[in-house]
Amino acid sequence: MGRTIKFIAKRLAFSVFVLVGLSILIFVIARVMPGNPARMALGARAPEWVVERLREEMHLNEPLYVQYYYWAKGALHGNFGISLVTRRSVANDIKAFFPASLELALYAGIFMGIIGIVLGTISGWYANTWVDNLVRIISYMGIVTPSFVFAIFFVLIFSYVLEILPTIGRLTPGVVPPPSVTGVITFDALITGRFDVFFDALKHLLLPAISLAMGPLSQEARITRASLVDNVQKDYIASERSCGIPERTIMFKYLLKPSLIPTITIYGLDFASILGNAFLVELIFNWPGLSRYGMNAMLQKDLNAITAVVLVLGLVFIIANIVVDLTVGYLDPRIGLGTERSSE
Amino acid sequence: MQKKSLTQEELSRRWENIRRNWYKFSRNPLSITGLVMICIILFFTIFAPFVSPYPESAGKFINFYEASQPPSLNHLCGTDAFGRDILTRIFFGCRYSLIMGVTVLLLIVPVGVVLGLIAGYHRGSWLEIVIMRITDIFIAVPPLILALAVCSVLTPSIFNAMLAISIAWWPWYTRLVYGIASSLKEEFFVKSAEVTGANKMYILFREILLNCISPILTKMSLDMGWIILIGSSLSFVGLGAQPPTPDLGSMVADGSKYLPDQWWISVFPAFAIMLIVLSFNLFGDGIRDTLGVERG
Amino acid sequence: MSKSVKILLVTLCLIGILSLGVASAAERPFRTNWSWPTYIDPAVGSDFSSSTALVNLYDTLFYPDIKGDPQPHIAESWEVSADGLVWTIHLRQGIKFHDGTELTAEDVKFSMDRLITIGEGYAYLFKVIKSTEVLDKYTVVFHLNHPFGPFEAVMYRFYILNKDLVMANIERPGPYGDMGDYGKQYLLTHDAGSGPYMVKAFPLEEYLLMTIHPNYWIPIDPNAPDEYKMIGTCEPVTVRTAMSRRELEIADRWQPVEALDALEKINGIKIGEFDSGLSYYYMVNTKKPPTDDIHFRKAMAWALDYKTVINKVFPGSIQSRGPVNQSLPGADPTIFQYQRNLDKAMAELKQSKYYNQLDEYPVVVAFPSVPADNEKMALLFMSNMADIGIKVETLKVPWASIIEIMASEETSSHVAGVSVAPHYPEAGSLLESRYKSDSVATWEQNEWLLDSKFDAMIEDALKTVNREERFVKYSKTQQYIMDLCPTLFIFDMMAKHPYQVGYIDWPAARGEVIPVMGYNLAGRFIKVYPDKRAELLK
Repeated sequence: MGRTIKFIAKRLAFSVFVLVGLSILIFVIARVMPGNPARMALGARAPEWVVERLREEMHLNEPLYVQYYYWAKGALHGNFGISLVTRRSVANDIKAFFPASLELALYAGIFMGIIGIVLGTISGWYANTWVDNLVRIISYMGIVTPSFVFAIFFVLIFSYVLEILPTIGRLTPGVVPPPSVTGVITFDALITGRFDVFFDALKHLLLPAISLAMGPLSQEARITRASLVDNVQKDYIASERSCGIPERTIMFKYLLKPSLIPTITIYGLDFASILGNAFLVELIFNWPGLSRYGMNAMLQKDLNAITAVVLVLGLVFIIANIVVDLTVGYLDPRIGLGTERSSE
Repeated sequence: MQKKSLTQEELSRRWENIRRNWYKFSRNPLSITGLVMICIILFFTIFAPFVSPYPESAGKFINFYEASQPPSLNHLCGTDAFGRDILTRIFFGCRYSLIMGVTVLLLIVPVGVVLGLIAGYHRGSWLEIVIMRITDIFIAVPPLILALAVCSVLTPSIFNAMLAISIAWWPWYTRLVYGIASSLKEEFFVKSAEVTGANKMYILFREILLNCISPILTKMSLDMGWIILIGSSLSFVGLGAQPPTPDLGSMVADGSKYLPDQWWISVFPAFAIMLIVLSFNLFGDGIRDTLGVERG
Repeated sequence: MSKSVKILLVTLCLIGILSLGVASAAERPFRTNWSWPTYIDPAVGSDFSSSTALVNLYDTLFYPDIKGDPQPHIAESWEVSADGLVWTIHLRQGIKFHDGTELTAEDVKFSMDRLITIGEGYAYLFKVIKSTEVLDKYTVVFHLNHPFGPFEAVMYRFYILNKDLVMANIERPGPYGDMGDYGKQYLLTHDAGSGPYMVKAFPLEEYLLMTIHPNYWIPIDPNAPDEYKMIGTCEPVTVRTAMSRRELEIADRWQPVEALDALEKINGIKIGEFDSGLSYYYMVNTKKPPTDDIHFRKAMAWALDYKTVINKVFPGSIQSRGPVNQSLPGADPTIFQYQRNLDKAMAELKQSKYYNQLDEYPVVVAFPSVPADNEKMALLFMSNMADIGIKVETLKVPWASIIEIMASEETSSHVAGVSVAPHYPEAGSLLESRYKSDSVATWEQNEWLLDSKFDAMIEDALKTVNREERFVKYSKTQQYIMDLCPTLFIFDMMAKHPYQVGYIDWPAARGEVIPVMGYNLAGRFIKVYPDKRAELLK
């Protein structure tokens, strides 16, 4: 137990370092761009003194390191400045938009885990049969297809040709959202017992979440299959077989757990692709999440928002990786915590 | 005299090695499929001006009177809203995608590898700490997000897109090489080279780098596909090449405005992206299996 | 695998069944879609979507009719002093804000002071106002710095706020001293108006939902929408799906030609077309080589294929006649129009000092990536210019980058393809915002004209209170601009909004067009017939 705590503490300290570094990196990227963000925020015809007032307010006339100082001071108090586009504090915006992205990433993550592992297991179980080949071809296609292409195909098929699933937003217009407890609509709906809303929200989630999950879930399926096939050839399985232990028991009791380790190990990285691709997918589905907010901020050069969104997503990514490490450590005590995971 | 024969011997040994690897590679039908697909793509992209039905469609050509025509014998993949032949633009688009992939790799592999070598060799010194902590920072955010952020502050162009991808991608090579180099550092042959007073450059680039070649090659062949994928994502949101440059990602994005009626405008370029990435993936997997590089 | 597929299918079916019976709460919902952001603070918003929201949430002193002429609204009557410097406005009595308090002269003064102090949005139109004075509860006086002809027209952009409500919601400290943030945070998502609609919900970047004001001082038609929603997306696929499901009543005007064609084929949908005062310009930089040479500019003007633009790229539009949209009062209908003529183009080009080095001077044309048809225009330009040997490079960028590029002389491109709408319905508005020296470095002027003679001419025209005299002066300035050839005047844009002709009645689509941006989407003049909608959904 103590080892786990020590590991977490170490990782957290490291995370803080990385976050500070990331904030400097992204701050520099966002601020070195040419142009006058204050002018852009205020529109074409605002008089010069109004622009100058906003520049003062945002410390834009100071040298970069002074700007960073002000920014960091604010950030420590949870104040990331004012968004030039929404004109609210960026912290408020993030609070407003994050739950939608979290919900999407969560469901995409679930789809990716469950479907990926199920497909991979089937494939590995029926290794070198037509089922296996079919799954492998499908997962190859899944990996090589950009998520925005999936999104477009899905919109085309499910909402245009079949007309069974919606394409905009989180809820059907007119549906009264449940009182916000967590901000994650499906949870809120369940907590408050609003099952109609739950299913409506789920219906809206399905296409974007699957578009996001397709690539990573294919990756998971491939890795699961590979390690299953690998482990089947191991001696201990053969000896179990010879002892007459039923195949199913071997499969679920002895084979699956060790085989899942590589799958979970790359789960963190696959999660990165969900977070990244959400930038495009949320845009296509008009999903009111943090990534769409971030994408718009990038296109509209909204510095404070860009910085904060990238940091928040960096934080999510870091946490996801810590969780993955802990899970792997739990599944396989031999690997142990704190060993450097390889880069890919 | 002696040295020469040694090289000769070495050469023939390497030749043998390559032959054996090729045999291993060619036994896998998927790898061969990948290789053949790459060759076909290369053929069509290199000779795009000669094999495309309407080479002028790749440049400043418009013909609104032939706009948005469905696939036919004249235009196998149809025409877009500008009246340009989509098949032609796909050939040229693949060209830009490949150029992008190769350029990014040329930019990042040397940088990433050299940094990784230095950090790995100087394990424990401040050099390692500085390099690897900077690497950690760049890796702390999903590559597509970092590339988008960098790209969005620059003027959209193919060069800037490549720059953005490079900034997001180099640390992976540093990590890879660092991992190998830092473990090799303690190996006998490095130690002995050090003892015999060999030049540091020689140790780094001859002894250690040689042992990293297989994983680097594997990663490069796999990354080719990913880089093209990220590039197409950037141009999908309008941060890629300038019109009228044919660019697969922006072709999909532009075409998606005309869905579902003029499906061919976006669907064929989307297939092209899938095909390129698929072939490099198959090829890369083949290379990995052949060179015996561990996954991940 | 079969198992997971089954589960998926079952889930899909279940979802399909449960999705039925989810109905909207409003009886006559009215939905439009927009490019975001939308600001509903009268001192902040000034673009198309913001203007539309403001028209619905707030009241103005005068209201424009279909000629753009002022009609009494909150102002019951008004008079101007002989020297043109003092405007006295008598307010209608008994008008109630959404919270029930009465609208008085105090509110008018507060709103004007707030607008000028904050200085954003439409504030620049009111530079002419020196001070506002409350004479009594229902009389307010504006003192002007100098006579100003289009005073009434400018007032269409002055929205009256509920002073008490704003004062109660001020956050301190803020950049405006005693006034804290002047209620900016509050007004970002709330309204403080007296208009026919009021804010019900405003999740930023998603939609603005307004509900009808039950006690509006003008009786509203019972068929007018009871809920007005402005949705923040312009994605063609999304728009198309929503239109075909009758979940969108009027779509945005930026849909590409192909999308319009497809939409028009759907039963019950028509494209509402009207001239909205918007003109599309290729603004040519007059300070940067090679476009600093007037012969070079004229060569480009002769080489452009206007007919193809009108017929193929933006079908239904009208070729522009000089800098002012022809639908605007004060536009000169006799201004010269260029037509594609390669001989004349070559003749001009030969006189240009860059004639022998065309390859060294490529012309960069910058244009925003949305709407999509901009790219067609740019490629047509590129191919037309190639005919006379001028090399063109494109710079397709997000809107924010256009503003950034145009913000300085060094970074601005040779040509910027931007459409500009008048801020108030009169030629002077466009002439001033397009060419006067104080609009350089904004997205409304890429010409960098900086011509003091022109500045004097337009200032003089605007100061002329007599309408006929003013219009004569407008004509002269238009002619003056034409002689400099600083711009390729391409077309006056037809706004093309796909709308549900099957179950809504929209005056603008019938030809009753108010030439002020935003006013054609005032909800109280639109009628929605839910039973006809139900019929179409069957």
